[in-house]
Amino acid sequence: MELFLKFLTNTGFALVDYRHLIMLVVGIFFVYLAIAKKYEPLLLLPIGFGVIIGNIPFFQGFGIGIYETNSVLHYLYFGVTNGIYPSIIFLGLGAMTDFSFLLANPKLMLLGAAAQMGIFITYLSALALAFKPHEASSIAIIGGADGPTSIFLTAKLAPDLIGPVAIAAYSYMALIPIIQPPIMRLLVTQKEMKIRMPSMRTVSRKELIIFPVIGFILCTFLAPASIPLLGPFFFGNLMKESGVVNRLAATASNAIIDTATIYLGLTVGASTQGDIFLNVRSLGIFFLGAIAFSIATASGLLFAKFMNLFLKEKINPLLGAAGVSAVPGSAREVHMMGLKADPNNFLLMHAMACNSSGVIGSAVCAGILWSFLKG
Amino acid sequence: MEGQLFGLEAISHYRGWAVAATGAIIVFSGLLILSLIISQLHKLVALLEKSPQSLEDAPAEATISKASSDPLDIGSLLSHYLPLLEALDTEFQLAELYRLAQEHQLPHPHLSIRRLREADKLVFLGNGFFRYQD
Repeated sequence: MELFLKFLTNTGFALVDYRHLIMLVVGIFFVYLAIAKKYEPLLLLPIGFGVIIGNIPFFQGFGIGIYETNSVLHYLYFGVTNGIYPSIIFLGLGAMTDFSFLLANPKLMLLGAAAQMGIFITYLSALALAFKPHEASSIAIIGGADGPTSIFLTAKLAPDLIGPVAIAAYSYMALIPIIQPPIMRLLVTQKEMKIRMPSMRTVSRKELIIFPVIGFILCTFLAPASIPLLGPFFFGNLMKESGVVNRLAATASNAIIDTATIYLGLTVGASTQGDIFLNVRSLGIFFLGAIAFSIATASGLLFAKFMNLFLKEKINPLLGAAGVSAVPGSAREVHMMGLKADPNNFLLMHAMACNSSGVIGSAVCAGILWSFLKG
Repeated sequence: MEGQLFGLEAISHYRGWAVAATGAIIVFSGLLILSLIISQLHKLVALLEKSPQSLEDAPAEATISKASSDPLDIGSLLSHYLPLLEALDTEFQLAELYRLAQEHQLPHPHLSIRRLREADKLVFLGNGFFRYQD
């Protein structure tokens, strides 16, 4: 009887408190969004189930929880806390990226740069809300709309914020269909939405091969701290474009990135244990993350309109919203918004060009912030 | 809470303005330089190949601007797409036609192929295959 009572006190039923229950509901909600609504399922399903895993109540000291050093989840979490999974994901991302539209219209790279201004404005906002500079940087990088970059920088600067930053970053990436359209409608007129982009010249294979080398060297000379992200990214792209290592490129863009995505999502979700995650700071991070996303979107849109003041061949300002690094969600939203205004206006590939520029821009921003604040 | 700074005082204390401004300028300048390099990349490639590629581009662009005068006119579309359709098999996938259109730098390939479909010039055979109907 004593043994049975001891067993009961060690079950989840006896150990649960309201914070576990709240987070279990959040995890189930994420799983619902992923499966029923198909909101970024590749991200939300692992994260959602990870939240459920991390919030099952357990007794401490037996190597079960993600924060206990001898647990399996802790070993898997190593890839997050040490920035390994983000680098691996960037390798696969590079192997899946087609830079031909960006090379054919290099102006679009500036829209990716403009969208990164949201990061620095959010940095100021976070400082104003009493976050320390390391924490403010980790929160601000959410504005880059790049989950791996957010996790990478947070792991370096403010590891205790990885949970809320990652959840905020991936949640807002999944909620792009809700966040971006109202901002696009507010800042871009119907007439501007109908601007058609010119047909692109054919980009030669040599250009596609030279670009990752030159792009990597230039970006990392500028911000060497971005080497762990941009190195694998441009290498993955070079593997794809070279045509001589198709097997490696295929592996990078399939098995490797999928494995890293699974473990990153699962462990980030599991790190959001209710007793650690649910506090005022996490709410503040969520609030600032929404600000970051919105400002980044608005920056890209407004800069595109600014560029049109000087360009003879106008850019569709909607493309500015695709300057955030949320591939391919924001490009898809821009394309859909353009189709609503003009059913014969196909913006997808132009938007993807801005997206890929945003990936580079957010990684460079992460490198710059890390170099400013390290030590 | 003791010693916590808020608002503009916190930003000034942590040199936030300098960090934000410097970071923004560096990112923007870096991507601006990269875009300028990219814009010259095709000329560099042409130079390396020692071919007059840049000269050949100019007449091709002129052809494109003439062809784009009325992208929805079927007659005009057919005059450009018939050679491509003849190069394909009798039954083909739209992706193949699209690829040829891109290689020949025809403008608005998505719109043109859609227009051809709407005009029943491209007939769907099932399993993703189409054929040209005169």
